Amino acid sequence: MEVLVAGLGNEYRSDDGAGPAVAAYVSERMSKVVSKVISEPLDLIGAWDDADLAVVVDATRSGSPPGTVQLVDLGTGGDAGSSAGPMSSHGMDLRRVLRLARAMGHPPRRVVVVGIEGENFADGLGLSPAVEFAVTEAGDLVLRVIDEVSSCA
Amino acid sequence: MTHQRPADSRTVHVEGLARVEGEGSLLVEVRDGTVETVELEIFEPPRFFEAFLQGRRHTEPPDITARICGICPVAYQTSACLAIEDACGVSVTDQIAALRRLLYCGEWIQSHALHIHFLHAPDFFGCQDAVELAGLDLAAVQRGLEIKKVGNHLMEVVGGRAIHPVNVRVGGFYKAPSREELGALVEPLRRALDTALTSAQWVAGFEFPEIEIDYRFVSLRHPDYYAIESGRVVSSEGLDVDAKGISDLVVEDHVARSNALHARLGGQDMYLTGPLSRYALNYDQLTPLARETATAAGLGTVCNNPFKSITVRAVELVYACEEALRLIEAYEPPDPPAVAVPGRAGIGYGASEAPRGLLFHRYELDSDGLIRSARIVPPTSQNLLCMEDDLRRVAQANLSMPDEELGWLCEQTVRNYDPCISCATHFLDVTVERR
Repeated sequence: MEVLVAGLGNEYRSDDGAGPAVAAYVSERMSKVVSKVISEPLDLIGAWDDADLAVVVDATRSGSPPGTVQLVDLGTGGDAGSSAGPMSSHGMDLRRVLRLARAMGHPPRRVVVVGIEGENFADGLGLSPAVEFAVTEAGDLVLRVIDEVSSCA
Repeated sequence: MTHQRPADSRTVHVEGLARVEGEGSLLVEVRDGTVETVELEIFEPPRFFEAFLQGRRHTEPPDITARICGICPVAYQTSACLAIEDACGVSVTDQIAALRRLLYCGEWIQSHALHIHFLHAPDFFGCQDAVELAGLDLAAVQRGLEIKKVGNHLMEVVGGRAIHPVNVRVGGFYKAPSREELGALVEPLRRALDTALTSAQWVAGFEFPEIEIDYRFVSLRHPDYYAIESGRVVSSEGLDVDAKGISDLVVEDHVARSNALHARLGGQDMYLTGPLSRYALNYDQLTPLARETATAAGLGTVCNNPFKSITVRAVELVYACEEALRLIEAYEPPDPPAVAVPGRAGIGYGASEAPRGLLFHRYELDSDGLIRSARIVPPTSQNLLCMEDDLRRVAQANLSMPDEELGWLCEQTVRNYDPCISCATHFLDVTVERR
C-alpha cells in the first residue's frame, strides 16, 4: 500500500512547524511510508498522485486550546469542501488542491488531515510547549490511521 | 466578506487565501471620482531572517534563507552564496557556476509554470482558481502541471529535493550530479519546452486590459546570457552597477501604516524589477526561439503593460527550458563540487534574479566568519511602490466598474507581480472605498 505522510508548514514560523515535526516523528517510526515536508500545498500534486492514503498534517487555528489534535477524514471522493477564499497571488490551500487533484484525475484514494491547534505563528524557531507536547499524540494518531487503513486494504 | 461601512461610502472586500496566518491588505479610497489613497500592506518574512542570521556561521545562510520562500528557495540560496563568497574573496569555478545556473533554471521552470497556469491564468477566464479553469480548459492546467513537474525533477536532481534544496553550499554543492543523472532530464525537458511553446501561444490569446506604464526598469544583465544567477544591475536609465552598488543605492523606508519596507533608488525613485524589467533590458540575450515566441505572442522588445507579464513569463519559461537543455549538453561535473570558502572578516554582496525579480543580499562577517549583520532585499519589497502606482492608475481608469469587478481587477493588478506576500502563509484583502 502506498502511503504519503505530508507535513505541511514552515518550521521558521513557530507552530506552523507542527506538520513537519509530526512528519519527522512518523518517519522515524515507520520506514515503509513516504514522509515529506511540504511548504506549498500545490506541491502535494505529484507527491500524492494515486497514493492509497495521504495523511496531511498541518497546524490549525480554529480557536481550540493550543495542542488540540483533530482528525478530518476527507474520504475517498465527493466534495472536498469549500476553500478558504478566492485565489491567492502565491499559492493554493489544501481543499482547493484536493479538488484540483480530482479534476486532474490522479488524486490519492483517501485523504486524512490531522491538525494540531497552534498558539504562536510568529517568525521564529521552535514549537509552543503545548504544541510540542501534542506532536507525539498527533504522530501516534497518524500511525494508527495508517495501520487501520492498511488492515482494511 | 463585507466590511461594515459608513453611509457615504461603498466597500468591497475580496478575501484571499489564509492557510494559517500572515497579512496582506489593499485599500483603495476613492473620493469624488478620484483615487485618493492606495495602500498595499505586505508582511515580509526576510526581516526576521536578517536578525536571525546574526551570530550564525558564514556557511549557514544558504540553508537558512532557503526557508524564506517555498517557491523561490534557489534565489535566496544563490544570492546568499554569492554574497558570502564575495565577503570571503572567493570565486567559484565555471563548472560550479553553470550547475548553479542549471538549478536556478529548475526554479524558474517550476515557479513560472505555477504562476502562469495555476495562479494568474484563471484571472483571464473569470475563474476563481485553477480548479474552475480545469473545468474550462483541463489541457491548459495539465500543461502547467507537466512543466512544473519537470522543474521539480530538475530541482531534485541538482538540488537534492524539489523544495528547499539541500545540496547547495557556500562555494558550490555537496555533490555534483553525474552526466547520466542529468541526461535523464533531457527528454522531459524537451517535452516541457514543446509544452511551454503551446502555453505561450495560449496566453498570447488572452484579452488584456489596455494600460501602458513608463516604468523605470531595473534588472541584472550578464554579458553572455539572459541574466538569471549573476550579472551587473542595470536600468532603463543607464544605471550599471555591481551588487554592492545596488545595495548602496537602494534605500528602504519604513512606512507607518505598513510593516513592509518601501525601496527607492537613491532614496527617491520607485523602480520595477521582475519579468518586464528583465525582458526589456535583456531582450537581445534571449535565444532565437524565445524571441520568435515573443514576437508570435505580440510582444515587442519592451513590454509596458503589467497585465502582459504573464506573456513575458511564458517567453522566459521557453527560455529556461532551452537554457537547461543547453547547460545539460555542455555539462562537466565540477570536481571538486565546491571550492573552499574560509571565513574571514569582510562585507560581501550578492544579487540574482528570482522568478519575480531582483533579490540582493549583503553580509558583514567578523574575523571568525560569524555574521555580524545581514540585509536581504526581496523583489516584492522593491516592487511595492510600483504595485501601488499601478493600482492607482488601474482603479482610476476603471471607476465606472461595479465594486466587485473593480476589486477583482485590483487583485489581478497585484497578481501581475506574483508577489511574495508572506512566503509560506499569506492573506490578501482588497478593499475599495468610495466616498
